[in-house]
Amino acid sequence: MRLRLSLVWVAVVIGVGLIVLLGFFVDQPVILDIRRILISWAVLLSAAALVLGLYNLLSVHWHKVSLQERGWPYSALLVLCFLVTLTLGLLFGPDYPVILMLFRYIQVPVEASLMALLAISLTVAGFRLVARHRDLLSLIFAIVAFVVLLGTGPWLVGGGGGAYELVRDLRNWVAQVWAAGGARGMLLGVALGATLTGLRVLLGSDRPYGD
Amino acid sequence: MPDVRCPMCSKPNPSDAATCKSCGARLKPLVPGESPIGGALGRGGDFLLGEEGEPGHGEGGADWLERRRPAADEGGEAEHEALTGGADQSGDQPDWLGRLRPAGAEEDEGPPEGEVPDWLSSGEEGRAQAEAEPATEVPDWLARIRERHEAEAQAQANEPEPAPEEDWLGRLRAEELPPAKPELPPARPGRPPVESVPLAMPKEPVSRPVFREEVFKDDRLFPAPDIGLEPEEESTESPPLPWNPPGDRLTPSRGFGRKPSAGAEMAGDQGEGEKPARRGGLDSAAEPAWLAEAREQADDELPHVPALVGDEGSAPASGSAADVELAPIDLPDWLSELKGAPPQAKPEPEGMGDRLAPATLPSWLEAMRPMETFRPVVEIQPEEEQQVEAAGPLAGLRGVLLAEPVVAMPHPSTAAAARLDVTERQFALGDLLRRLVKEEERESPAAARGKRRLPLVRWAVAVVLILAVILPSFVGGPSFPVPALVPPGLPSLINLVNELPTERPVLLVFDYEPGYSGELEAVAGPLLEHLMLRGLRLATVSTRPSGPPLAERLIQQTGEMHQYTNGEDYLHLGYLPGGPAAVQLFAQDPHLAVAGGFLLPEGTTGATIWQSPVVRGVERLSDFGAVVVIAAGTEIARTWVEQASPMLGETPLVMVLSAGVEPLVRPYYEALDPQVDAILAGLPAAVAYEQANGQPGQARTLWDAFGSGMLVAELSLVLGAIYGLISWLLRPGGG
Amino acid sequence: MIGLNVDLVGIAAVVGLVVLLLVFVFLGRRWPAVFRPIKGFEALGVAIERAVEAGERVHLSLGTGSVTGAEVAPALAGLAVLSRVAAATTMSDRPVVVTAGDGAMAILAQDTLRSAYERVGAGERYQATSGRMLGPTPFSYAAGLPTILATEDVSVHMLMGSFGVEGALAADFGERQGAFVLAGTDDIQTQALLYATAEHPLIGEEVFAGGAYLNVGPLHRASLRTQDVVRMLIIGLILVGTVVRTVMDLL
Repeated sequence: MRLRLSLVWVAVVIGVGLIVLLGFFVDQPVILDIRRILISWAVLLSAAALVLGLYNLLSVHWHKVSLQERGWPYSALLVLCFLVTLTLGLLFGPDYPVILMLFRYIQVPVEASLMALLAISLTVAGFRLVARHRDLLSLIFAIVAFVVLLGTGPWLVGGGGGAYELVRDLRNWVAQVWAAGGARGMLLGVALGATLTGLRVLLGSDRPYGD
Repeated sequence: MPDVRCPMCSKPNPSDAATCKSCGARLKPLVPGESPIGGALGRGGDFLLGEEGEPGHGEGGADWLERRRPAADEGGEAEHEALTGGADQSGDQPDWLGRLRPAGAEEDEGPPEGEVPDWLSSGEEGRAQAEAEPATEVPDWLARIRERHEAEAQAQANEPEPAPEEDWLGRLRAEELPPAKPELPPARPGRPPVESVPLAMPKEPVSRPVFREEVFKDDRLFPAPDIGLEPEEESTESPPLPWNPPGDRLTPSRGFGRKPSAGAEMAGDQGEGEKPARRGGLDSAAEPAWLAEAREQADDELPHVPALVGDEGSAPASGSAADVELAPIDLPDWLSELKGAPPQAKPEPEGMGDRLAPATLPSWLEAMRPMETFRPVVEIQPEEEQQVEAAGPLAGLRGVLLAEPVVAMPHPSTAAAARLDVTERQFALGDLLRRLVKEEERESPAAARGKRRLPLVRWAVAVVLILAVILPSFVGGPSFPVPALVPPGLPSLINLVNELPTERPVLLVFDYEPGYSGELEAVAGPLLEHLMLRGLRLATVSTRPSGPPLAERLIQQTGEMHQYTNGEDYLHLGYLPGGPAAVQLFAQDPHLAVAGGFLLPEGTTGATIWQSPVVRGVERLSDFGAVVVIAAGTEIARTWVEQASPMLGETPLVMVLSAGVEPLVRPYYEALDPQVDAILAGLPAAVAYEQANGQPGQARTLWDAFGSGMLVAELSLVLGAIYGLISWLLRPGGG
Repeated sequence: MIGLNVDLVGIAAVVGLVVLLLVFVFLGRRWPAVFRPIKGFEALGVAIERAVEAGERVHLSLGTGSVTGAEVAPALAGLAVLSRVAAATTMSDRPVVVTAGDGAMAILAQDTLRSAYERVGAGERYQATSGRMLGPTPFSYAAGLPTILATEDVSVHMLMGSFGVEGALAADFGERQGAFVLAGTDDIQTQALLYATAEHPLIGEEVFAGGAYLNVGPLHRASLRTQDVVRMLIIGLILVGTVVRTVMDLL
């Protein structure tokens, strides 16, 4: 019975995937309509999965609070904020002024701070890059980063001079030729990898949904 | 023919040899009719051989019996010579044993082969003749033996006498023996030939030969050693081995006619036992005087038969008891030499009663044990001291091997046990193993987390960076000059915005996270300002849940000066769930994709949102005047480009991007058939746009802080690279 | 699309990829694939073994991408790696913990974990909380990582999914914890940041090679070989097209 059920899921995955893929290549109303319906269902399931994920999040932190594991005060604060925000949002809607206030004065600053933390981490990483890896590629990386920074940001002195223009042109050349070209190549490889990964799921070889 | 190995000493011998050249043991069994021993000794050996069932039979008995039979070709004198003091050919054997063994090189002193001594061949007549003519008819071989014995006796007289309890032979010697030559009785006629001695212990008792009784009755006969003889009593049980196993109480030693009781006590008795009623079956009237004297002494001192295995490994007192009381016996010379000190009379244990004397091995028999090393030295305790078996089938018996203390319970090995010699390396390895095992058993405490090093570098960089960003805002400096050069794509963007139709709304897509709001609000601000300056209606949409609030925030910031009103000048179409699928769906059918708005004005609902004056008349994506995508990620930017541009038609697509995304989106802008009509990326472009607008904005405010921060980042990169290179060059081993 | 009802080129490309994939599956039995060494995957096995023996935890992050978008591809590659890692850590005192920034991805992680446990006969050791969602948004996910890394005694920190710039932050958190950090994503910009912050970054499509390097299955190795062949084909086409276009311009 268990084996047959797994085969059913595999068949569903393969069928739905083929229909959605076909919709990209076949311009037929029937197929397009079915594809649209299936994508809508996928969006709905994704939203439902979001709810399940939130429930999972809540249960993990609730478990931490109940057992008073290490870091349980933070989990308690998370659970409290979660419940308050969820209650307000369910009761008054996402455009409720309180919700907007929470968003504007809590979420935005917190995430902005994390971005600032990222800037500091990247600066420290840049400082340790050559000392840590000690190879030619790291040195090139540091040099290119320096050139781009120099060509992007303002100069304290000589901002309008020829050197500034030279560096700026160098920066544009590095960024738009070398970086873009390399990035394009990497994007091709990533696209190939993503395509083959999807094909493995369509062929039933990879079963991330479980056996 | 292959060599024959001696059964006694395992030395190889020629195949045709009858006796072993090393120890004199017989290699071939006696054939009926063949006299194993010539002369008196041979005759004496006959009755020693006895019959089946008699002592001397069985395994051990057969062996010693075999040894007692000299080879016929060598004559019976070999053994005589050995007894009379032949050279000790074996260094491990006592002298008397060596003398017992035939000395092949020596002159044959025994009777000639085939010649049966007179005392053995004739019966009464022979006896009488022997008595009558004892002195005149001594055979030559006997004379030689006597001479040798005399010589040895003198030599032994000079030797220190061993302890009486150790050397029964000495005791025998110490006795005063009549120097008279023994008158050997003539052999009885018609003595049946001695049959070969079976090696195995017969299982069925056998009757004694008739001649045996006669032998015992004959005074002239060389008497059997007094071992508690008991005349003719048919042995109904198998005769015991020469050394009766301990506990063999039920198998009385029938050697030479013992009573059962005597045999039963043989193993443990060290006492002399009671005087047997009869000895040897001889008629008291007919027995010779020497025999009578021997009996008297035997009555007084029962010979001690050392047990084969004593308690606790106690060594038996070999020869502690006189095996043979030969004092009153007219012994031949060779036998007189064997006679040592009289056996020490051990106190008769109480309750001995009418017990037979324990079996005593004759000295020559004792001496002829093949392997001295296998002969355990045991000491038999008195019966009262012996433990009584309490368990098992032998419960209640004495003198048995106790199962529990001996067998069941382990006991430490004796000193002779294996002594382990451990080398130093082995000891070290063993100690290592022991420590490893101990290490595993020990519960190691959780490793204390190492004291975390303070991230001084991180703190230093953070402090410098924060100061660099904050100082321009508070102190006003350092001030970075505004770039004079305009980004290449900026003029086209400005023209594009200037040419947008005012009757068609502009779609703004806010697809970035709140964390990017600091940069993207500064970059998108001048464009939004420009759009507001032209009075264009704005519709916002987002594929992220945080998009609509971010849109509201930016429009309120920028539109406050232009008094833009929600529902009249701008409208939030809300959140589009589904990610890229939602983009495609929205591009194909905006009405279908939009589920409900965000911060809708009064009177407007999700169903009537498209009736709003802001987006009235918009049916498809191409109905918008322009589509401006504000994105911080490469993927979403590409998604909008790839999914929306086919549906835009002539509607321009403008990308407002973070500085890091621009290189990846620029190819869409610089393609031959560009899918992106304009790009606005990075703070420098925004500053330039603000200058073009003539309106200072957020970008200019952040310019100095941006410059300071960039300067700190550049310096950290340079310093880090220099530090890395120096450490790289100075590492051990050179650069 | 070419303006036909049926995009035959697209269909042919997909069919060709499938055929090539199957061909390499069968060829792989006779001629096993030999791939260039990737330091991160080589060191991963040792790091996991050390973590298991030390009673420390392995953490795998599937990224902040959604299941419905293109960013699901690196997450699927991460799930393939998860199946192997989970099998290796089932008997550990602290089994692997998987986090994601999307609810559906967290459910897929739970399914993969359960299958891996049942495959090794340790189904009773599976816990549903081993696969969890840390936060619905990228930065909220990144904000929840330090708590996991500190309280769960994580010593192997794997990032294999779709990340934005928060991926660099996540890698930096692992580095500060002193953990073994293996990070890979499909976003090019983030890969540049990971090169500077992670101990073992996966550049380009190396994140999709995890299944082949960890011997998840023959189809993974065949996929990698197919990618190499198609990549060479595209390179050839680009060179040819460049040459042709240059010649035409010159002419």
